[in-house]
Amino acid sequence: MIARFFLALGLAAMMVVASFGTYVYLSGRQSKLTAAPQKPTAATPRAQAFKLPGTIYLAQSGALYSLSVGRFHQLTGEEGWTQPSVFPDGGYMLAVKQNYLYSDVYVLERFGAVHRKLTDNNAYGRLADISDRHWSFYPRLNPDGTQLFMSYDAPKFGYDVNLSVWAMPLGGSISQGRLWTISNDYTGGDVQALPVPGGGIIYTKYSYGPDGNLTGQLWFTNRPGSVGRALTDTDQDCSEPSLSPDGHLLAMICTYQKQVSHLVFASWINTNIGRLHELITDQVVAQPTWAPDGSGIAYLAPAVAAGPFQLWFLPKDAYDAPPPSPTPVPTPTPGGPYSGTLPTPTPAPPVAPPVIKPVQLTTNNGFDATSPIAWAL
Amino acid sequence: MLGKQPGRRARASRRRLNLTRTAVLAVVALSLSVVAGGFAYFLPAATLAWQATGQVVSIPSPTPSPSIEASPSPSPVIKVPGDFTVLLLGSDDDSKFEADHVLTQSMILVRVRPSSHSVVMLSIPRDLYVQFWRGGSGKIDGAYSYGQAGGAIATVERDFNVHIDEYIWIGLLGLVKLINAIGGIDVVTSNPVMDDFYPNDIFSQYPYDYSRVAVLPGPQHLDGLHAMQYVRSRHGDLQSDIGRSKRQQQVLLAIRQKAKQVTSSDVNAVAAALGGEIKTSISIDRVIDLIPLASTFDNPDAITQIVMVPPLFHGGGPGGSLTPNWPAILALVRQYFP
Repeated sequence: MIARFFLALGLAAMMVVASFGTYVYLSGRQSKLTAAPQKPTAATPRAQAFKLPGTIYLAQSGALYSLSVGRFHQLTGEEGWTQPSVFPDGGYMLAVKQNYLYSDVYVLERFGAVHRKLTDNNAYGRLADISDRHWSFYPRLNPDGTQLFMSYDAPKFGYDVNLSVWAMPLGGSISQGRLWTISNDYTGGDVQALPVPGGGIIYTKYSYGPDGNLTGQLWFTNRPGSVGRALTDTDQDCSEPSLSPDGHLLAMICTYQKQVSHLVFASWINTNIGRLHELITDQVVAQPTWAPDGSGIAYLAPAVAAGPFQLWFLPKDAYDAPPPSPTPVPTPTPGGPYSGTLPTPTPAPPVAPPVIKPVQLTTNNGFDATSPIAWAL
Repeated sequence: MLGKQPGRRARASRRRLNLTRTAVLAVVALSLSVVAGGFAYFLPAATLAWQATGQVVSIPSPTPSPSIEASPSPSPVIKVPGDFTVLLLGSDDDSKFEADHVLTQSMILVRVRPSSHSVVMLSIPRDLYVQFWRGGSGKIDGAYSYGQAGGAIATVERDFNVHIDEYIWIGLLGLVKLINAIGGIDVVTSNPVMDDFYPNDIFSQYPYDYSRVAVLPGPQHLDGLHAMQYVRSRHGDLQSDIGRSKRQQQVLLAIRQKAKQVTSSDVNAVAAALGGEIKTSISIDRVIDLIPLASTFDNPDAITQIVMVPPLFHGGGPGGSLTPNWPAILALVRQYFP
């Protein structure tokens, strides 16, 4: 009788522990989907990152980070900072600070301290309307560092709010600014201006294609207010241009109007674009950026399907293959001339060029894929 | 004396515990406890699933549909056993509206074809001027407001000459919470979506307030709030509701892509996100059957996305509505929906 009592007691205790334990175990499991991205400073990148030259600037969760000598440093608080761009002389950088109503362009020290505010896009006064405020995005300086190019939502007419490319003196104000591009109505406008050596800008213009779909196209213009000319076709849907340090190669992304984003490059000679070559087609690529020493291209892409964006690096060998090996010739036979038929040289087996894969530099971050990467020596 | 021996032994034997029986008892008790613990954990999700699924819809008898002949189409779709049609309904369910008397900002007919692992999605413009199932006319987004899901289904069945097997309704806030509960989605946004008059009615105490929106172009990871801004904004789009419908289909497919990664550890969060924000006629049994099926729709080329554009309709209808070109619409619908 006593044995049965203890058995019942033991079983009851075990049941309580097991059911409670199961509940606690299930509650304690962490969802992999909703895990917040790690701060870049929480983990160092993989060893390969140490080979990257210079300093890379990126944005995540409204903060700017730098990656230098294999270590991340947080430069600003999580205060809406995005879209860093380094001055041509490397002394300072531009960045956008955005809130839910407007955004402004700032000059920052390379360690993140605010040096100067360049725009004032808020609206003041009791009678200010919500649409009196403005957005500034994608700031870049021209090669001599005197003109600030940016996308700015003016002029706008009621519901028709489009970004256009503007340029203003670095030390001036938007009232001294000049409208460089005429954006198409109701498209979102012109973005990602990239000043090129020799003058002019490459930028992304949005327009309605023949099928009525909105699509991106790279354009070039060399003076304010001119129409310029298209560099890519509407059905290629290309955007996010980046020019190589020598100025002869242009990287971009193209989506072909699908939910994909391929890394594409083309030659860029005398403001003429060459044939497009696809480099990466199996990832959702964003913000390709050339290394300042020409050693490769950094970009953002998810590491897992539908995941947050990580930093990747594609070494130069992937797109700049070594020249093919020379055609084999028959080896001379020692012992003097031979009058018979010469043996047909055995062709060397074709050597497939080594497949250079991109290197994943981070694993648990969530970089802002709408923010261009800045990279300086 | 001798006769008492077996009885005593039997009693002694009964008092001793049988090892096998004890072990079996312990295993059964342990299993029951684990199931009970699991049941307690999944109870909120199970409750929501029970409440949200298997909604009984009374589809009112529609008024006879007008005898409109469809334009000649290549060939009408053939009914295949197992294929079914779902009407997806998305609503503004903010404080401007009474509960269940909301407009449907989004109405998408989806034909699911398990036989060929393909899907067809057809977005119906919310401003399409139609005959309601109960008589009278108006924009199709009002059908749900007048007759809830049954009214919307009856109206679409009547006007588009299709049979709808199931419906799913989701509120705007539910969409935001769902996307957050699955950790955000990856979308290649088609263009900068700029809107100075975006309704600030979900998280504001002033439901008629406006906000500014700037969703930048290109590949990006969107949280629920920004995904909602992307699919809802229409002022900056020349195609207004048509452009918005295209974006809605992009986001739906992105949710489907991410949903493939949902595990049991996400179930409660997803259930909590959708509490009161989703309703469907699909029974819980069928949902369980469909979950593994969803992961087989992997080929992007097997997903046909259709957004109705002119000449399927033209503007200038009553109250800013769109006047349908029924012969052309019915010809299109007949190709994909039985």
